[in-house]
Amino acid sequence: MPHGPEAPSPTAPTDVDLSVTLGRLQLPNPVLVASGTFGYARELASLVDLSRLGGILPKTVTATPRQGNAPWRTVETTGGMLNAIGLDNDGVDAFIECHVPYLASVGCPIIASVAGKTREEFVELVRRFDAVDAAHRPAAIELNVSCPNVSGGVDFGSDPALCEAVVRDCVAASDLPIIAKLTPNVTSIATMAKAAEAGGADALSLINTVLGMAIDWRKRRPLLANVVGGLSGPAIKPIALRCVWQASQAVRAPIIGVGGIANINDAMEFLVAGASAVQLGTVNFYHPTASMEVLDALPAALAEIGATSVSAIVGSLNH
Amino acid sequence: MTDRPALDATPLHAKHYADGAAFVSAPIVENVRLARDTYRLRFEAPAIAATITPGQFVMVRLAGIDDPLLGRAFALYDVSDDRAAVDVVYLAHGKLTTALASRQPGDRVEVWGPLGNGFDGDEREIDALLLVAGGIGYTPFLACGAEALGLKEYGLVGGVSDADDASPPQKTTRPRLAAKSVTFCYGVRTLDYLAGADAFRAAGIDLRIASNDGSVGHHGLVTDLLTQALEESSDRRRRVLCCGPEPMMEAVAEICLAEQVRCDVSLETPMACGLGICFSCVAKVKQPDGEWDYKRTCVDGPIFDASQIEW
Ligand SMILES: Cc1cc2nc3c(=O)[nH]c(=O)nc-3n(C[C@H](O)[C@H](O)[C@H](O)COP(=O)(O)OP(=O)(O)OC[C@H]3O[C@@H](n4cnc5c(N)ncnc54)[C@H](O)[C@@H]3O)c2cc1C
Ligand SMILES: Cc1cc2nc3c(=O)[nH]c(=O)nc-3n(C[C@H](O)[C@H](O)[C@H](O)COP(=O)(O)O)c2cc1C
Ligand code: FES
Repeated sequence: MPHGPEAPSPTAPTDVDLSVTLGRLQLPNPVLVASGTFGYARELASLVDLSRLGGILPKTVTATPRQGNAPWRTVETTGGMLNAIGLDNDGVDAFIECHVPYLASVGCPIIASVAGKTREEFVELVRRFDAVDAAHRPAAIELNVSCPNVSGGVDFGSDPALCEAVVRDCVAASDLPIIAKLTPNVTSIATMAKAAEAGGADALSLINTVLGMAIDWRKRRPLLANVVGGLSGPAIKPIALRCVWQASQAVRAPIIGVGGIANINDAMEFLVAGASAVQLGTVNFYHPTASMEVLDALPAALAEIGATSVSAIVGSLNH
Repeated sequence: MTDRPALDATPLHAKHYADGAAFVSAPIVENVRLARDTYRLRFEAPAIAATITPGQFVMVRLAGIDDPLLGRAFALYDVSDDRAAVDVVYLAHGKLTTALASRQPGDRVEVWGPLGNGFDGDEREIDALLLVAGGIGYTPFLACGAEALGLKEYGLVGGVSDADDASPPQKTTRPRLAAKSVTFCYGVRTLDYLAGADAFRAAGIDLRIASNDGSVGHHGLVTDLLTQALEESSDRRRRVLCCGPEPMMEAVAEICLAEQVRCDVSLETPMACGLGICFSCVAKVKQPDGEWDYKRTCVDGPIFDASQIEW
């Protein structure tokens, strides 16, 4: 960050420490982009200065290629959208061969997102990334134990014992920091957060999409080919904030807030609620430069409430 | 952003990332009714106007509101003569387009583009370019026809105005559409939906109309018009470009396959981002191994060789 010749006042925006620590993972700033909403990053290279991001989570990869669901895969709803993409991806081998070299070259931390059908598959995926040469290794791995569109996927996200076990296995299988991404589609998010923490997760990402559906009553048909899908965007922000806050009351593990974050105010709300960092998701679709705008506005927003670092405001909610 | 590995050539990468795209807040210059529920929107966006080519599209979003939330794709209709503004034509029937119809000059829209591949140019001038559209699918074809007949150039790099003689506009390397004649087979529901007929005729395009109810032109299917145009031009080098409802595009693709005429279709799959990052917009595209794979229409299309589509 450029420092002018004149000494800035204590809370001048240039004086703010944006770095964040998530367990074993260090990030230059708290503004990340969420898995499945940023492609493989190459797509946005001309609109976003990728090197400035706090981290990029490319689309979730699975052990073998998946074609994904039939269209319609997404449908807009009031203030949000439903998706049932079905983890369309070319599999981990193709990902490492085709996308990782590019991702490793962009100059910001890359957090690979993986989803397995079984505990063994999760471990196998984590090992694949662990074995990648140092120059191409991701900074961390996010376990997508919460994808609502893949049968079997959601069990790890709603059964605390399974969740703890899969996290523990993955932590043991690699030196890479492990993040568990949780679903809001549970009775108690605090219980799930505790389970992931007990498994040894370096951090928790909250939330994945909220299960929903949309129908055309005239045709009496669902609008998504998959019938149900995951709701995202501004419509789910209050749910995500609530989950982050409840989880932060229940665990010490750092939390990454995700869900409906579109601008600096949204990002600040999550930090105050208890998130150490944030991921921008759906907003990338309709305002592809949003991550840069949030990052630009962050120092002044921190300064506005007298903070000199991001960490100073994390979980600072008065209640 | 230099020294990136040259991976774009691998088959898993898409062919047309939005590398030339800009994201802008654009003032509306005009928003005028052309036909029943059909409007032409002109917005000021020199960065996009300077580079967009026929068959490419932009995403348009209503600025400052969350409902509708997502942008919508609109094909390039035309670029203003001063190359500062882009025209799109839309059918006001859903959430965003109905709201858009009441927007006034000076109001802003958020726009990103140019997006997608656009129509391939012709390395060698063809004899007869046959354009086929159903309904609002007609929008890409004014620019196609104008370019093919040499009336207008699209895709000049750098936004240099033609008046600026000191620095002649730098051309992109993309070959132009080039044809001796352009015939446009245009299917509409009824006469009141017929839009842009004067503009097509003024460009010297041979306009042939079909309507569902016979209220204008041929009473019947637009494919009847295509079959006739193909018969008339059977001894000439031809090429077909098509956009419209999927059953119509499939029928056109079949006719062209039987006639062994190259046919490109512009797919209108629902899109959420237009940029390749959401994986909403997939279509079944045939692969070299004979199987099909879902491809993202926004970054691998929206123009596809019709024979490659698994309908
Ligand atoms: C490459 C490309 C180019 C395009 N070019 C043009 C163009 O030049 N001009 C143009 O007008 N359009 C064009 N389109 C289509 C355009 O992007 C929009 O889809 C279209 O304008 C409708 O947007 P809307 O917000 O008005 O309708 P929406 O509200 O999004 O609805 C669109 C349709 O979806 C269905 N639908 C959505 N939600 C529901 C629901 N809850 N219940 C029942 N049905 C529902 C309905 O059939 C409805 O008519 C293009 C699309 C693509 C992909
Ligand atoms: C189209 C789409 C695809 C998604 N794909 C994934 C995915 O592959 N893996 C994952 O962990 N989350 C995926 N998500 C969830 C997002 O990462 C995020 O958790 C969620 O959308 C909430 O954030 P948002 O409201 O900012 O979008 C997807 C979301 C959308 C809208
Ligand atoms: S519209 Fe988002 S990937 Fe094509």
